[in-house]
Amino acid sequence: MATSTKTILSGNEAVARGAWEAGTTFGSGYPGTPSSEILPALTQLEGCYTEWSVNEKCALEAAAGASLAGARTLVTMKHVGLNVAADPFFTLSYVGVNGGLVIVSADDPAMHSSQNEQDSRNYARAAKVPMLEPSDSQEAKEFTRIAMQLSEQFDTPVLLRTMTRIAHSEGIVELGDRVEVRRECGPVRDPQKYVMIPAYARKRRALMRERTARLVEFAEQTDLNRAEPGSGDIGLITSSVAYEYAREAAPQACILKLGLTWPLPPEKIRQFAATVHKLYVIEELDPYLKEQVLALGVQVEDLPESLQIGELSPERVAAGLRGEDISPPTGDLAPRPPVLCPGCPHRGVFMTLKKLKAFVTGDIGCYTLGTLPPLSALDTCLCMGAGIGEAHGIDMACGESHKQVAVIGDSTFMHSGITGLVNIAYNGGSSVVVILDNGTTAMTGGQDHPGTGFTLSGRPGKQVDIPGLCRAAGIPNVTVVDPRDLDRLQATLQEAMDSDQAWVIIAQCGCVLKTREHNEPRVINEDLCIQCGLCLKIGCPAITTRTDVGTDKPQPVIDAGLCVGCGLCAQVCPKEAIGVADE
Amino acid sequence: MPTNILLSGVGGQGIITASKVLAEAALISGFHVKKSEVHGMSQRGGSVESHVRFSADGRVHSPLIPVGQTDILLAFELLEALRSIPTTAPEALVLVDDRRIVPMSVTSGPFEYPAAPLDQLAASGRRVHVVSSLTVANDLGEPRAANIVMLGAASRFLPIEPQAWTEAIRRAVRPKAVELNLRAFQEGIDTLRVE
Repeated sequence: MATSTKTILSGNEAVARGAWEAGTTFGSGYPGTPSSEILPALTQLEGCYTEWSVNEKCALEAAAGASLAGARTLVTMKHVGLNVAADPFFTLSYVGVNGGLVIVSADDPAMHSSQNEQDSRNYARAAKVPMLEPSDSQEAKEFTRIAMQLSEQFDTPVLLRTMTRIAHSEGIVELGDRVEVRRECGPVRDPQKYVMIPAYARKRRALMRERTARLVEFAEQTDLNRAEPGSGDIGLITSSVAYEYAREAAPQACILKLGLTWPLPPEKIRQFAATVHKLYVIEELDPYLKEQVLALGVQVEDLPESLQIGELSPERVAAGLRGEDISPPTGDLAPRPPVLCPGCPHRGVFMTLKKLKAFVTGDIGCYTLGTLPPLSALDTCLCMGAGIGEAHGIDMACGESHKQVAVIGDSTFMHSGITGLVNIAYNGGSSVVVILDNGTTAMTGGQDHPGTGFTLSGRPGKQVDIPGLCRAAGIPNVTVVDPRDLDRLQATLQEAMDSDQAWVIIAQCGCVLKTREHNEPRVINEDLCIQCGLCLKIGCPAITTRTDVGTDKPQPVIDAGLCVGCGLCAQVCPKEAIGVADE
Repeated sequence: MPTNILLSGVGGQGIITASKVLAEAALISGFHVKKSEVHGMSQRGGSVESHVRFSADGRVHSPLIPVGQTDILLAFELLEALRSIPTTAPEALVLVDDRRIVPMSVTSGPFEYPAAPLDQLAASGRRVHVVSSLTVANDLGEPRAANIVMLGAASRFLPIEPQAWTEAIRRAVRPKAVELNLRAFQEGIDTLRVE
């Protein structure tokens, strides 16, 4: 190709490119914002087996096997996904690798789409796994490539830590060629390395200590860590996107930019500190770097503690260096949070649960939006699969039903709902579990999973028989309903909630973003409408109001461009004023 | 000093595609470029903001535009235009589509949609021009090209050559849609008569 090798890539695309250039042949993960685009991008580049695994633990375990067999492997997840993969992660640090193994964890400072803003960097230190933090798309590519090499060089998994402003920012990347790694692919028999019984694990622990010492030597001389000169007497130690904010906020400062952030280079840090009068550490979330720098006996100035919460920005860093923090402008404009789409099958479920006064335990997915007004029908969301567990806990602690109903999406059910369901059956619980089966992993962009019948590569895959699985787990009652048939849904839910046995209701209806369905839009007959507002309470974005028609209360009106004709509003209208046009 | 452009509006309006075309056109023109946005809200009707920064001299550092340094605001909806005003520089240029998309917090909640958003925008002291990009796109028979119409209008104020825009649009849209999008871009240029 004679064209330029420079292109604009997102951080995620760049990670995929870097893994591909490094000769990766195995990629696994589970969708999670802001990491979801990496595996599809790697799939596009070809030459690599890729899969959406059932969850992040499965993904990392599969990758451990692939690495053992000699393949270079990439595993992708968001920060809370690393919690799920933590069990294999910690012990892989002992086992090490054969083919390189790079684990990408994408953090979400400010929780744009997560339930917490935990700092994944703590995992590297706890597990004694080296970690790289790129600052932009070009580094996202380069560091992934380097991580694969370091993994094999030091016999260790490597953590590549990104976050929203790396993953979903785009910048110029210089493309390179793919290295073809010629190696025999087959499992290696070496129980002392791969079987972590105490006798063997203790020996590996001693090797980890030596490895860490060699990594520290490497950290001291690698140009992953570089000092940038400045004028003035302020020095900043920084990494990740915070480096870019620091560069912009304090153009004159001397900067020690760390690309390898576990282990740290003690001598390099001490030398840098000696060249400046005042040293600050600029980092998002936890004082992870700061505490380690302080532990070296190096003096670090304090920044306002509130900077540890949420995202940084150039202006927040500038304020911090002045000893202040900036609160985000609150403003009194009407907020515009995300909402369930017109036609979303979850809407009918939440309407009905609210009508039946259920206490609804839930978890992560589009259905989490059911907690927002006007639906206001979701009472808990803790982590993947937690709704089922929490319903069971309420049940068994109270000894009588409190109308607790768990809702869970189909992908989340595969991820970590099955175990909770078995728990209910095994321990004699009587909770109702509603599986919201819309045939996709919707919130993260419509990825496939074991219930959809297709895999990441688009090929057909085995489809789990959800009702059969629930029965096999020992749940006595399993019913499939259409969540748009409100009468039948309510009758089924009522029966289940009144029963003293466990019950699974599978609310089966495709996600409208996937089916792209378009039925006849509904229309409100304003002659029949009494402006009772019940249709507005279902929270459909296709129903808005007009105040120009001379009625006391606002006149609801349906936007034909947004309406997909699901018919839910027509079912709640007490005056049968909603129908298809020309009726 | 980079040129800072903020695109703001509602999920589904093609804002991320528009910012992609803009960034690509800047790259083709030889600028150093970065852009940033939060994904996922686009399909769920939430607010969408895309930051695009490009520079002739040296690297762009922060992918986020520092607050108060947005030079050009391209707003695809009135409420979102008002929401983004505080991030703009005092002398910023604002191109706004006079569209109202009422959020759930107004329809089923206690909030109100601003009564006179264009007046409020004018009162901000920024240089405001209305670009009815959806109306223009509807006249062309393709409402989804409203984002490209807005880019055309914006191009009058940007140091990017026509060929760069054309190539960027070609790279961003399906081959069958290129012709229509190039026309939409031209309509955007023509529709804004600078007083």
